Amino acid sequence: MFLNATSAIEIKMPLTDALLLSVIGIGIVFAVLIVLMFIIMLMGKIMEKSPALAAKMPKLPKFSDIFKKKKADEPITEAPEEPKAKGTCGELVLINTDERDAAMIMAIVADTTGTPLNELRFKSIKRIDE
Amino acid sequence: MDIVKTLSNLWNTSGFANFTWQNAVMLVIACVFLYLGIKKQFEPLLLVGIAFGMLLTNLPMIKDSSDVLYHPEMWTGEAAVAGGVDYLDVLQHGGLIDILYIGVKTGLYPCLIFIGVGAMTDFGPLISNPKSLLLGAAAQLGIYVAFFLAICLGFEGPQAASIGIIGGADGPTAIWLTKSLAPEILAPIAVAAYSYMALIPIIQPPLMKALTTSKERNILMKPTREVSKAEKILFPVIVTLATCLILPSVAGLLGCLMFGNLLKECGVTGRLADTAQNALMNIVTLFLGISVGATAKGENFLQVQTLYIIALGLFAFMFATTGGLLLGKLMCKVTKGKINPLIGAAGVSAVPMAARVVNNTARKYNPNNYLLMHAMGPNVAGVIGSAVAAGFLMAVFGG
Repeated sequence: MFLNATSAIEIKMPLTDALLLSVIGIGIVFAVLIVLMFIIMLMGKIMEKSPALAAKMPKLPKFSDIFKKKKADEPITEAPEEPKAKGTCGELVLINTDERDAAMIMAIVADTTGTPLNELRFKSIKRIDE
Repeated sequence: MDIVKTLSNLWNTSGFANFTWQNAVMLVIACVFLYLGIKKQFEPLLLVGIAFGMLLTNLPMIKDSSDVLYHPEMWTGEAAVAGGVDYLDVLQHGGLIDILYIGVKTGLYPCLIFIGVGAMTDFGPLISNPKSLLLGAAAQLGIYVAFFLAICLGFEGPQAASIGIIGGADGPTAIWLTKSLAPEILAPIAVAAYSYMALIPIIQPPLMKALTTSKERNILMKPTREVSKAEKILFPVIVTLATCLILPSVAGLLGCLMFGNLLKECGVTGRLADTAQNALMNIVTLFLGISVGATAKGENFLQVQTLYIIALGLFAFMFATTGGLLLGKLMCKVTKGKINPLIGAAGVSAVPMAARVVNNTARKYNPNNYLLMHAMGPNVAGVIGSAVAAGFLMAVFGG
């Protein structure tokens, strides 16, 4: 049996204590996460008001950005030295593929497989000319 | 040569001669889990390992044989309980699973898995919407409701705490807490935790429908702000410092989670991040699954308490979802309809399954309502929340 008779007498908890502990427990979880929430909010505010700091660190692309349509007059740039694409786990090698097309391909794969983009791993995307 | 005696000895050492009804039941359960893992793909990476460990450990073998893979008496026997586990004895005389189980008993595997989880997790949605943390906290309600119900049913405090943590919907956290507080119920806890995580698409949608109105489910949320790389790098450092200073007992889990995330985000340790989220994660998952499954010996597993644990685990999941949804509704009211309360259900950890369920449920009512990225915030907040809850319970009962 799981319950050990001797230790149960010693460790068994009165219901009022269990209830109190539950209330304190959920209170602690809220307290810790609220502290974190304020710290993250503060960090966001500092980043917003400090353009110099934000400029040093490039912004990461939003998930929604990869669905944005490219302007018609925007020139298609060839990938000269196999650049690494942003927004994917690890490093992605682009061969004769621009970032926009790569982002579209990744978004389509994520949507089709029902897997969040940050969980997919693309190693390389290569344009095949027929 | 006495042929009859030889044949008799052969029969007596065979599995058939030592077969008990517990062996039969456990082998059937193991086969059912294998079916669920392989055919239904319910958490297959872990469930297949757990099921096969269960199958191996319940094969009838002679107790003193050197072929025995797992010796429960080394871990939960009277000598181990009284004087601690003799690891030298385990290494010298233990079977394969005994040696693998050292990683469970010492809390090594859950922490290593958290490094991998951290390396795979994008905390961007949480950083861009920090209020998600509140939903992640509310969804820990299930842990404490199940804890209280377990005490009402007569479980000891440490066992009740281990049962409650099933509501955190986080397998490694459940294993990390249970191996310290109540190792004798580790198998049913692990099986319940992973089974219910796999069943989230079945458990959550009816609660979402029951607790939200059609108008609330159709709320479209605005895209969240962009997050800079600096914020993503600072986040794991700040979370580690803040949480571990407040509650040092969470350092094992949250420290590893944030370390893995820092490897991913800092941009200079790509190889380490790659190893953490692939090779390391796979190896540890392999060891964890088979060694946890092996603890499900028939004579320990087939108890009335196992049924209680399974039932309480379900309550824990249901109350966790309810807690998240109710706070989501409150936040919806406070923000005058800017927050879709469905995202509260994702606060139950289980990344990213719970967020996907929220997204699918919302799209069921409005095909153009994509809540995935909004639900990822509470989802990853739930991982932090359940680790904090586990740290609190460890601080209370583990000392």
